[in-house]
Amino acid sequence: MTDVAVAGNRTAWRGRLGAVPVAARPSLDARRALQLGLAAIWLLDGVLQYQGFMFTNGANGFSGMLAGTAAGNPAVIAKPITWDANLVDHHIVLLNAIFATIQLLLGLGIAFRPTVRMALAASILWSIGVWWFGEGLGGVLIGGASPLNGAPGAVILYALLAVLLWPADRGTAAPFVAARAVGAHVARALWAVLWLSLAYFALTPDNRAPQGANGMIAGMESGEPVWLQDLMKGAASLTANQGLATSVALAVALLLIAVGVYLPATIAKVTLVLAIVVAALIWVFAQALGGILAGGATDVNSGPLLALLALAYWPLRIVPAAHAMTPVVAGPPVVSEKEA
Amino acid sequence: MTPAWILDVFAAIMLVVAAVSATRLAVARPWQPGAVITDTDVSHLLMGIAMAGMLAPGLTTLPNDAWAVVFGVLAVWFGYRVVRDYQASGARALAVGHCAPHLVHSAAMIYMFLAVTTAGGGSSMAGMAGMSAMGGMSGMGALRVPTLGFVFALVLIGYTIWDLDQLSGLRHGLAAAVAGAAPALAGASAGAFGTGVVAGSDTGGAVAAATPAGAGEAAGHGTAGGARSGRMAIALLDSPGTVVGCRIAMGVTMALMLVLLL
Repeated sequence: MTDVAVAGNRTAWRGRLGAVPVAARPSLDARRALQLGLAAIWLLDGVLQYQGFMFTNGANGFSGMLAGTAAGNPAVIAKPITWDANLVDHHIVLLNAIFATIQLLLGLGIAFRPTVRMALAASILWSIGVWWFGEGLGGVLIGGASPLNGAPGAVILYALLAVLLWPADRGTAAPFVAARAVGAHVARALWAVLWLSLAYFALTPDNRAPQGANGMIAGMESGEPVWLQDLMKGAASLTANQGLATSVALAVALLLIAVGVYLPATIAKVTLVLAIVVAALIWVFAQALGGILAGGATDVNSGPLLALLALAYWPLRIVPAAHAMTPVVAGPPVVSEKEA
Repeated sequence: MTPAWILDVFAAIMLVVAAVSATRLAVARPWQPGAVITDTDVSHLLMGIAMAGMLAPGLTTLPNDAWAVVFGVLAVWFGYRVVRDYQASGARALAVGHCAPHLVHSAAMIYMFLAVTTAGGGSSMAGMAGMSAMGGMSGMGALRVPTLGFVFALVLIGYTIWDLDQLSGLRHGLAAAVAGAAPALAGASAGAFGTGVVAGSDTGGAVAAATPAGAGEAAGHGTAGGARSGRMAIALLDSPGTVVGCRIAMGVTMALMLVLLL
């Protein structure tokens, strides 16, 4: 989709070639900004994948970590994971170098406009593959998934974001960025499914056990900087023996977030802010910033992705179609936002 | 530990960046009155050499303390320019100005040289003959204040992504630079040598002024085809995309080094 951009001191027209008159047009291309956010996270993931730990095999190495995700999964899921882990174990240096480079290229590809479609498409395939072979489907089938530990698997959120931020428009007014590619109904349904599933995971028996949240938080403290350990210790002490209360409170918040996108824009904004706050709290207190500062993290975990997702649902200011085609007289140069 | 050959690949990329920057500086003919020397090229040249030395033990050139001083000077210079940009353009200068990324790069280099610890303990590597004394990156320990290293890595990645997005917009500008090389150089052969200020920018303005100087020589000494190739090469070398590309490579590599040292 290409925007007409006529600069200089003559009349400039804003419109869209080959499409119906633009009914809704954000003054700033929010989708591109979110794509860049996704690109940055992929790039960071790629850099993280080059860490020394990722090049170690054996039970305590990267390949062992992969193999561990097979435990508890149905055979049809677990066997390919085990096969993949064995393969990685035997060719750890070569394969991990490839993995890291792929993620690096995904980030760079999304950031570079001419390759954004190709990179987003590749990121969807890569995310699905990693979700299965690297995360064991995020533990959703074995009862170990929790919003606190990155359910439903951080990497599948990359795929979801790639779909929602796909550079295409359905030609109708989009109330938020995520609706531009797939439509408002589908986008809202995806949001609801995600956050409702998180609410469900928060209430599973393992997670509502008295020490469920406490154990999860305490388990992430090791190796972190002192300031972060202190924060996490505070959170762990708050949730000690309060597993049920923590789970219920979290589930209520997640439920509100899930239905928020169906509510009027003002209320939706409140629930989206809540989503960002919950994501930030989870990322800092339960996920220890993805464990990056302790070394050995393969990605940033789900916190930043959930926040990015929430921003994709932020209600846009609707510009009436009549105004969208109004000539802009003698304005500054209009930046074209061609999206490959 | 990260295999040495991977670090060597990144070291090679840094040497390419340094070579490109050195060529750009040479084309600018700094020994001639009125020549244009861009601070970004100087910065890229020094950082390319320093980072290659950090990544590959055999490429070490100066002690850590010396590099820290060098990048301290660069940081002061770019800090001064950021303040000037800020006064002229406001906070926008921090996001879209070209000096702010270089300030971050310089500060990150200082941090890496001063905050790295040995693999065995907490003693500083400062004063040792580069990182090679510990066998390059693969033999180093970790950074003190890792949170700061992480913040630096995030900011570097942010600028890299932003640069790439902007570079997409330069695609046509790059082609235009090559296509427009001939008429520009025709003027150069007629004696239209460029002059400019010392503190150039990587947005192409100041660098473009230097283009005729180098290109005029190419036109004078080469055959017609060779001169055209030379002009195109120089136009590409002097294009804003080349500088931004160098900065992207540097940002990714620096972020990688910081993460490896966390």
